[in-house]
Amino acid sequence: MASLWRKLTHHDGNGWWNLPHTASNEPNPPYEGPIGGAWLGNIWRILTHGSVSHAGPSFYWLVGLFLAIITLLEVWLFGVEGLGSWYIPLLLILSLLKFVGVVAFFMHLRFDHRLFTYLFGSAMVVGIFIFTLVLLLSEFGHQSPN
Amino acid sequence: MWAFLGSDVMFFGAFISTYLVYRGKSLVGPYPSEILNIPITSVSTFVLLMSSLAMVLGLHYVKEGEKNKGTLWILVVVVLGSVFMGFQFVEFREFAHLGLTPRTNIFGTTFFILTGIHGAHVTIGVIWMAFLAYSSHNGALRPDNALDLEIAGLYWHFVDIVWIVIFTVIYLISANDAPPPGMESITH
Repeated sequence: MASLWRKLTHHDGNGWWNLPHTASNEPNPPYEGPIGGAWLGNIWRILTHGSVSHAGPSFYWLVGLFLAIITLLEVWLFGVEGLGSWYIPLLLILSLLKFVGVVAFFMHLRFDHRLFTYLFGSAMVVGIFIFTLVLLLSEFGHQSPN
Repeated sequence: MWAFLGSDVMFFGAFISTYLVYRGKSLVGPYPSEILNIPITSVSTFVLLMSSLAMVLGLHYVKEGEKNKGTLWILVVVVLGSVFMGFQFVEFREFAHLGLTPRTNIFGTTFFILTGIHGAHVTIGVIWMAFLAYSSHNGALRPDNALDLEIAGLYWHFVDIVWIVIFTVIYLISANDAPPPGMESITH
């Protein structure tokens, strides 16, 4: 299982989905591209004419474009009629994508020491847990009159 | 900085939860569907997102030792942050004009406290970035002490992700919160 996860998310020369996770002041790792490992990374190298191996300005512009497109999508969804109960889950998913994009790449959590990920991630988990409890209590926690 | 951001997650989480707990419980208008302006707020959201892009580009160029490009991108952060604050100022003034203040109803109270505290964070960030742009311009900010900018950048990006949540929860989701039947209040 751990091996499969590593193949999916890290580069070992044949990663399927291989986003950069090496800081730009470290030596270029083999096969690690701004996007993608084996095939996606090659497409990126062709598009950028070569030697981009770390997250640099081109990659940051790409992430910025991704965030802008998601925002446009959210605003478009706002105007779509008939989404019904799909509306809020769709918005939450899009919002989560933007959140992860900024935290992982602009805040470079993906390139940093794991401890920072655990620190921030545990605050998020504890916070979401507490505030979900608050919301549930406010919704269902009323005492019925005797 | 990561520890501080973790504590700030709790801080904003408390206000967002408070907003959600009291969502739809206002007894008088104006109500969200009558007053929230999604197109305008979408533009200000886009501006704040792009300021995060400018921030990361500024940090990249400062680390690379390209002083002028680094200063320029930090200045872009200052400008975009100020534009965002301008949008918020105009929005608050418009809401006050339409009769929504923190004392009007529970929506006004929770809305102004949450977005106001976020605005205060942005203001602190803009001032911080202005100092760093000046430091970069006069050569005090260099590749060897770029950590100062990196820490400020983490703060700036955090302010951005908080807005991502606020924009979704308060604006896009709550903008459909209509008044209770027979209670329509204002005025467009």
